Amino acid sequence: MRGISKAFPGVRALERVSLTVAAGEVHFLLGQNGAGKSTLIRILCGAHHPDEGDILVDGVSTHLRSPADARRLGIAVIFQEFSLVPYLDVAQNIFLGREPRGRLPGTVDTRKMHADARRLLDALGLALDTRTLAHELGIAQQQVVEIAKALSQDARILVMDEPTAALSDHEIERLFERVRALKASGVAVIYISHRLQEIAAIGDRVTVLRDGRNVASLDASAATVDELVHLMLGRVVETTYRSRFCEQPGEVVLAVNDLFADNGVRAATLSVRAGEVVGLAGLVGSGRSELARAIFGADRVVRGSVLFHGQPLVGGPVRAVRAGVGLVPENRKADGLALSRSVQDNVLVAGLRTLFPSGWYRASAALRVVNDAIARLRIATPSPERLVRFLSGGNQQKVVLGKWFVAGSRFFIVDEPTRGIDVGAKAEIYRLIEQLVADGAAVLMISSELAEVVAVCDRAYVMRDKTIVGELARTELTESRILTLAMHHA
Amino acid sequence: MKRLVYRLAAIAIIGAALSVTTESFLTVTNILNVLRQSSLTFLIASGLTLTVLTAGLDLSVGANVGLSACLAGTVMQSTGSVALGAATGLVFGAGIGILNGLMVTVLRLPPFIATYGMLWTLNGVTYWFMGGDTIHGFPPGFRALGSGYWLGVPVPIYLMAAFLFAGAVFTRYTTHGHEVFAIGANREAARLSGVPIRARLNLVYALSGAMAGLAAVVYLARLNSAEADIGEPLTLPAIAAVLIGGTSLFGGVGSLLGTLIGALTLTLVVNGMNLLAIDASWQPLVTGVIVILAVWIDVLTRQRAEATI
Amino acid sequence: MRSIPGIGYLLVALMVVFAAFGSGFATVANGLNIGVQSSVLLLLALPMTLVIMSEGLDLSMGAVVSLAGVVLATLLMNGRSLPSASAAAIGVGAAFGLANGVLVVGLGIPPFVATLGTLGIAQGLALVATGGQSVVGVGDALPALYESRPLGVPFSIVIAVAAFFVFRFTFRQTRFGGYVAAIGGNRESLVLAGVNANRYHVGIYVLAGVMAGVAALLLTGRMSSGHPTAAIGMEFDAIAAVIVGGTSFERGKGSLGGTVIGVVTIGVLKNGLNVLEVPSSLQVASIGVLTIVALVIESVLQPAARRLWRSA
Repeated sequence: MRGISKAFPGVRALERVSLTVAAGEVHFLLGQNGAGKSTLIRILCGAHHPDEGDILVDGVSTHLRSPADARRLGIAVIFQEFSLVPYLDVAQNIFLGREPRGRLPGTVDTRKMHADARRLLDALGLALDTRTLAHELGIAQQQVVEIAKALSQDARILVMDEPTAALSDHEIERLFERVRALKASGVAVIYISHRLQEIAAIGDRVTVLRDGRNVASLDASAATVDELVHLMLGRVVETTYRSRFCEQPGEVVLAVNDLFADNGVRAATLSVRAGEVVGLAGLVGSGRSELARAIFGADRVVRGSVLFHGQPLVGGPVRAVRAGVGLVPENRKADGLALSRSVQDNVLVAGLRTLFPSGWYRASAALRVVNDAIARLRIATPSPERLVRFLSGGNQQKVVLGKWFVAGSRFFIVDEPTRGIDVGAKAEIYRLIEQLVADGAAVLMISSELAEVVAVCDRAYVMRDKTIVGELARTELTESRILTLAMHHA
Repeated sequence: MKRLVYRLAAIAIIGAALSVTTESFLTVTNILNVLRQSSLTFLIASGLTLTVLTAGLDLSVGANVGLSACLAGTVMQSTGSVALGAATGLVFGAGIGILNGLMVTVLRLPPFIATYGMLWTLNGVTYWFMGGDTIHGFPPGFRALGSGYWLGVPVPIYLMAAFLFAGAVFTRYTTHGHEVFAIGANREAARLSGVPIRARLNLVYALSGAMAGLAAVVYLARLNSAEADIGEPLTLPAIAAVLIGGTSLFGGVGSLLGTLIGALTLTLVVNGMNLLAIDASWQPLVTGVIVILAVWIDVLTRQRAEATI
Repeated sequence: MRSIPGIGYLLVALMVVFAAFGSGFATVANGLNIGVQSSVLLLLALPMTLVIMSEGLDLSMGAVVSLAGVVLATLLMNGRSLPSASAAAIGVGAAFGLANGVLVVGLGIPPFVATLGTLGIAQGLALVATGGQSVVGVGDALPALYESRPLGVPFSIVIAVAAFFVFRFTFRQTRFGGYVAAIGGNRESLVLAGVNANRYHVGIYVLAGVMAGVAALLLTGRMSSGHPTAAIGMEFDAIAAVIVGGTSFERGKGSLGGTVIGVVTIGVLKNGLNVLEVPSSLQVASIGVLTIVALVIESVLQPAARRLWRSA
């Protein structure tokens, strides 16, 4: 891939990025969240079209109009969300859409299909009955089936996106063996992972992206972990968005102890005090949103305790909201807003029972509260009746914050508060957060942007593999320390 | 608001067309009849509207009306007390609604399956209970509820107005009503905003059943008789009224005024068909086509709205 | 296949109860009776299994069967030959199936509403065409065929069993069969694999319509007439049979064998209640209850049992 550029509305995802991979080579693609890796891969598999630049396969320039084109050229991608059909068996999944034909038109030669599937699985070292249904497979097995699927299409370039994220150590070893076998047979593997130690195990070359640009391409043998971290972070920028950090935090507002939840969170312990902005950092998949949802009661807690002002917080979102907790979800459009309703309706929905305990909704009082919120948060909307779907990302986020403001929350869990928001609105969100804690509220902020965590938070916890692996006080809070904690495999 | 205006215009057009093509449409008797019939449809459709607002549905309303009417009539005749009979109908209808709600909230059944199963179950029980008999002959005072006039206007219209008012108050001036809309617009967002989903869903299904029970009593008064199959032709028009009125099957959008307009529209169409001497057997067909068209418009509207994000 | 054990026990339990309390239940003649009564239902439940697996529903089946039966009877009455009249009946079914498919797949209308609408249309057409009356005088060919016993087995059972094997073959050995589970379970992967998912999706509804036409053949043969409301409510029995048999509304989970058990269970239930002289109207209610029990088992008891099993 040469000189690839791609812009989306409001953001330049890629700026003249190049990537060169040779046959039989395992090429690591590194970069922080938002560095451009996903966009580059989607362009490679034909899902997006680059604004400029070209793609050469075997030296020949090609134009990928669709995923079908990419597949024909031997490019296969295994995303983190697998694409298997749960109630079809392994062989059917591998050959979906390309089933060997039987004698009668429209029939499938199932014997051949299963035999071919058997051969592929054997080559990958997986002893599994090809008649097993996909939903019965473990994650590691599903992954092997996905690899088999790619190989059955004569893939010569295989992209693997965070393949080891959900695997046990033993399964990771098996995966590495398979990758080495693929290497030996001449397949080029583009490997995206945050686990830098894996480079030493199977990597040949490494390319680092940052902010949509190439930073470096080097041999794996020449790269050290520290150097790679430094390359990914770039120049350390010492900006702070807080005018004043929290000198004397108040009482403990939230105390989470040894929490296990059915969404995968394990042994999580943290605390948040009044007046603080506590960060929750980590890489994609480290479990931060899951922890937030478990605390809020959106997902089920299996073991451990969540104490809010000393009282156990149980009973799901209804009780959490009544107690004064607010959640700004990661996906604001899907989980935080009703896009088809007005600003007014969205701002009021969590506070209805606080504002109107008798159940009678008084329109004049409601309007007053809404206008007050709009003014305080500086939500740019022509009127409270405007449907939320027409607002900009930043203003939509303010509506979500406004909702909790109106509900009288004193503890806010904000998940990726500034994702997809332009710079100007970002600063406003930070200002609002600062105002909240200045008033004595507490904030638990989840963010993948390390600079943001360092600039806004009083202190931060770091998560990895669905558990908390460290806490950094204000004086220790630097991007490289966060990244090191987030990535290092003990 | 704009959408309601279009629908009112449609009524005006249909009315105008019928006035021109038939001689008996624009008579006081006929208009009052249309209004009376619309009121009956509206009573059933009003509770149904609430369930649709939550992105659900209550397919059992017709059968509910049927069984509740038969029960109410039977109790009235055997005890001689109109009040007791009416109360039976109401309580039973509400009880069925509560059962529907529990199937949706506790058993987590998809609403259309749960209420569809309830529909057939109620049908069967009704036939077993009535066994092919008909009950008829109720006191004139009671019959006035369905067939009578007050101040020159059919009584059911007052009921329609009353419940339109009650429904409008519920949806716009109570927190419960607002929460119902929130659930329909985006259930997960509502849940994460602290809205008690199960409680509100139980409420709307209970109300749907209660309105069916009320409608059953009024139908009983109107028909002055009850037999096993009176509920069967009622479900499809009720659903049609809700959909024509602009309430979206996908939840979060709609109004009781719209349902009223929908009921009026549908009744006008049926009335027109009768006046034009079109065989009554065509009515289910026409209603079916109207339902499909209304849903199609709903789907298109939604697609267009989502495309602007 | 995993959920069959639970429902199978239910079936066996029902059979034991009826054999114990109903005289005349546990006889070969009665068994054949159940088979004959259930065969029409199986013809409807088999395609309904595929429809539900694809996360859809077809409420119009009963009305379409009635309409096809009316068409068949009318053509026979007017002297048409059995093959051509049958082809016309099946054609009617296919046409409605196509309409359903277009509404659901092409226009994006939710299946239960779309098929509720076509139910009304089919019903309406049947009522208008017959004025609510039966169409008699279908001649001797069809009833004779229905009464025949190839190899000593009643004709309807032969057809039903044949249909089952055809469906089973289709499900396991054709591309179409595999794609049905994919449409319900993970439609995007099918599209990403370059398959024209829409075409197969519509095909599922067309197949349902065709089978409704075939069912009309049997039904008209049994009744020796066509009646506009002959098959009303059969779709409910078919849906109940499919759900009782373990097919679910999501993820593409389904089993044709389970549907057979479901059909037999309903047949046994109805027959047993008859033997116990329970009125037929309550039988309908009991099927509703049965469906709910089956759903409760699937959604509440089975996961609980699995969790208990895992923690043990």
